[in-house]
Amino acid sequence: MTRDWIVAVLLALSSSALADEKTLRVSAIPDEAPTELQRKFAPLGAYLENATGWKVQFIPVTDYAATVEGLAAKKLDMVWYGGFTFVQARRRTGNALPLVQREEDAQFHSKFIVGAGSKAKSLADLKGVNFAFGSVSSTSGHLMPRYYLLKNGIDPDKDFSKVAFSGAHDVTAKWVESSRVDAGALNESVFQKLIDEKKIDPAKVRVLWTTPDYYDYNWTVRGDLDPQLIEKIKRAFLSLDYSKPEQQKILDLQRTHKFIPTQPENYRSIEEAAKSAGLLKD
Amino acid sequence: MRPPKPWILRWPGLALAAVIALAYRGSEGDLHRLFSRESRAALIDFSLGFWPPAHDPEFLGSIVRPLLETVAIAFLGVSVALILAVPLSFLATSPLVTASRGDRTGSARRLSFVAARLLLNGMRSIPELIWALIFVRIFGIGAGAGVLAIGIGYAGVLGKVFAEIFESLPRSAADGLASGGAPPLRGFTFGVLPAAMPLIGSYTLYRFDCALRASAILGIVGAGGVGQQLELSIKMFDYHQVASLIIALFVLVSGADIASGRIRKLLQKSVGLLPLSKAPVWRRVGVLVAWVGAAAVAIRFLRIPVEELASPQALRSAASYVAAMFPPDLSWSFVSGLGPAILETLSISILGTAIAAALGIVVAYPAALRTWSERISDEPKRSFGRFLRRVASWSARGVMNLSRTLPELLWALIFIFVVGLGPFAGALALGIHTAGVLGRLYSEAIEEVSSGPLLAVRSGGATDRATFAFGAWPQAFPQLVAYTLYRWEVNIRASAVLGVVGAGGLGKALYVSLGLFHYHRTLTLIAVIVGLVAAVDLLSGWLRRWAQQAGSSKALAVRFSETIEAQLEQSFEGGYR
Repeated sequence: MTRDWIVAVLLALSSSALADEKTLRVSAIPDEAPTELQRKFAPLGAYLENATGWKVQFIPVTDYAATVEGLAAKKLDMVWYGGFTFVQARRRTGNALPLVQREEDAQFHSKFIVGAGSKAKSLADLKGVNFAFGSVSSTSGHLMPRYYLLKNGIDPDKDFSKVAFSGAHDVTAKWVESSRVDAGALNESVFQKLIDEKKIDPAKVRVLWTTPDYYDYNWTVRGDLDPQLIEKIKRAFLSLDYSKPEQQKILDLQRTHKFIPTQPENYRSIEEAAKSAGLLKD
Repeated sequence: MRPPKPWILRWPGLALAAVIALAYRGSEGDLHRLFSRESRAALIDFSLGFWPPAHDPEFLGSIVRPLLETVAIAFLGVSVALILAVPLSFLATSPLVTASRGDRTGSARRLSFVAARLLLNGMRSIPELIWALIFVRIFGIGAGAGVLAIGIGYAGVLGKVFAEIFESLPRSAADGLASGGAPPLRGFTFGVLPAAMPLIGSYTLYRFDCALRASAILGIVGAGGVGQQLELSIKMFDYHQVASLIIALFVLVSGADIASGRIRKLLQKSVGLLPLSKAPVWRRVGVLVAWVGAAAVAIRFLRIPVEELASPQALRSAASYVAAMFPPDLSWSFVSGLGPAILETLSISILGTAIAAALGIVVAYPAALRTWSERISDEPKRSFGRFLRRVASWSARGVMNLSRTLPELLWALIFIFVVGLGPFAGALALGIHTAGVLGRLYSEAIEEVSSGPLLAVRSGGATDRATFAFGAWPQAFPQLVAYTLYRWEVNIRASAVLGVVGAGGLGKALYVSLGLFHYHRTLTLIAVIVGLVAAVDLLSGWLRRWAQQAGSSKALAVRFSETIEAQLEQSFEGGYR
C-alpha cells in the first residue's frame, strides 16, 4: 500500500521532464473530461509515434478557445476539433487543414434530452425550461442545438427561463439526469457511451429530439507542417483496420470503426449555421 | 456612546433594508428553494458523499502534481507581482513624499504619478480569473498564464498598498536628512524606506496566502494547478474526490497561513533596510538567494517556457490579440443587453455581503466571547461554562477558517447543486466565503473593545449576552460597518467572475464572448467590469466617510485613513491565535 503511494507520487513528479525534439504536439477540444481524453488518446498516440517516427505528446486543455489560439500560435501541431471549432481555427489561421474524421462524423447528430418526468413532446414545448448547452464553443453541444432551436421558433436567449453552459457533454447529461436542469443538448456519441457504460440511468433521461445530419469532429493539422509528415499522419489514420485486434482497441476508444478523409468544404454548412445562429460574426 | 438601535430604525437602516431587498430580487433570491426538501436532499447527499474521502493511490498520486503546481504558481505569481509593483509603487507615491520639503515637483514627475496610479488601478480592477482567461488565450494553456494572471493582478494591489505605506509613514527622518542637504531620493531611501520594509514584507506574505487561494481556482480556465480537477470532480458528482481535494487545499492554505504568520512576526522584529552588523546582511543575502533558487525550481517544475514567453513572437501575438479587441463593440443591441447582467452582478455582491455580515456576526460572537468574557468574568478558571465557551470559540474559528479557505468560485460550484444555476447560488457562495473573512475581522474588532464599558455594564448585573449587546457592540459597531463596506469592494470583483461557473452576472457574458472569439465584445465587457468596480469603490469610500461622520467615532477616522487596505488586512491576518 505505502509502496504504491510512493510510486504514484514519484510518477507524478517525474512526468515533469519531457524532451521536445521532433515532437508532435497534439491536443483535443475538452468536450469530455480531460482525463478521459488523455485515456482515449494514449494508444492512438503510441500508434502515431510508430507510424510517423515522431514523438507524440498529448497536451490536455480545459478550454476550447485555447486549442484554437494554440494552433494559431504554433504551440500545437494537431488538434481534434469539433466542426465549429474547426471553422473558428480555419478563420483564425487561414490554413488549418482538416485531415481525417471518423465515418460517423460525416453524419453527426445532437440529441435533445429531458428528464424522464418531463411532459415535453417537441422542441416547441421546451419554452420556459432551464436548459443546458455544453461548452460555448461546442458544435454538437451548442451551435447545432441553438441553430435548430431557432429554426423551431425558440430563441434560447429569450424563451428559456435559464440557460447554462455545462462545459462538457457528460456534465450536461449528468445535469439532466439529476434534474439540475430540465433539458439539455449533447453529442449523440457521448450520450450513447454514457448509456452503454451505465454512467447515465436510461430510466431517468429521455431523448426528446435528434437533429438532422451534419459534419462534425475531425483531426486538423497546422497548414505549415511538413507535407510529408502530414501525409504520413493521414495514411496512418486511414490504414487503421478494425479487423486487427490491437488497432481495434484504438478505434474502439475513438468510438468508431474507421477513419475517412475530409476537407474544408465539408464545413461550409456549419459556418452558415453559425452565422445564422449569430455565433459567428464577419 | 449611543446604542446602535436607533440608527437601524432611522432612514439609513431603512434604506439599507430596501437595498438588500432589491438585491435579493435582483439575484433571484429564493429562500423557499434554499430550504426546500430537494435542496436539503442535495445537501445531505453531498455531505454524505464526502465520506470516505477518495484515497486510492492512483487518485492521490494524480493530485500531488496539481497541488504542487498551485503552490508554485502562487509563489511565482507573487514574485512577478513584486518585480512589477516595486518600481510602480515608487512612481505612484505622491511626489510630495519623495521630494524634499518646499521643493516644487516637476511636471514629468507629477504626470508619472498620475499614470502609475491609473495603471495600478486598472490592473487590480480586473479580477485574476479574467486576466487568466485572457492570458490562456494569448500565451497558451498552462501554468505560465496563471503566473502572469496573479502577477499582473497582484502587482496592482501591491503597488497601491506600497505607495500608501510610503505616504503614511512619518516624514521626520527624511525631512531631517533633507535639511542636512541630502538629495530627495536619498532622503527617501534612508528616511522612509527602512521603516516601510517590514510592513511591505508582511503585506507581501499576506498576499501570498491570497494568491494560493486564487491559484487553486485558476485551473478552471486552464491556467494550471488543482482547480481543473476540482471543478471536474464537483461537476461529475464525484464527492469522494471533492472531499480529498478540499482537505488537501485546506491543509495547504492553513499551513501557508501559519507559516507566513510566523515569518511576519520575525519581520516585525527585524531592523530596517540597512542593518549595521554583518550577520543580518548575510541572512538577507541568503533569503534572496533562496528566493531566486526557489523561483528557478518552480519555473522548471511548471515547465514555463520563459524564453518563448519573452520572445518577440510572443509579444507580437499578445499585441495582435489586444489590437484585435479594438474597437470595443458599442452597438446598441449588445450594450443595451448588458443592463440586466450589470444589475445582477451588483445584486450578487450586495446580497452576498449582507449574508456574510449576518453570518459573520453569528460566528464572531462565540469566537470573541471567550476573550472578553474572561477579561471581565470572576468565574473560577476551571468552570464548566468557561470550558463550553472555549469549545464554542474554537469551533467558530474552525468554521470561519474553512469557509474562507475555499474560494468563492468553489462555493459557487457547490451551491449550484443546492439551489440550481443562477445568481442566487453566486450570492450564497459569496456570502459563505466572506462570512469567514468578516467573522474573523468582526471577532477581532469585538475582542479589541476597551474593558471600561464592559465592566460598567457588567457591574450593573448584566448577563453575558446583555454585556455584549450594551457594552461591546456599540463600541465595535462603527468598525464592523467599515469592514463590511470594505469587503463589498472586494466582493464586486468576485461577483463579476462567478458567471464563469454558471452563477450569474457579467461573468457569463464574458465567458461566452471569449468562447466565441467575439473580441470586441470582450473588450466592452472588461471595460464595463472595470467601470463597475471603480464605481463601487467610490460609492463605498463615500459611504465609509459618511458613516464615520454619522458615527462620530474619532478612532475610526484615524484607523481608516488612506491605507485602509493594508491596515485592514494586516489586522485581519494577525496570525492564528
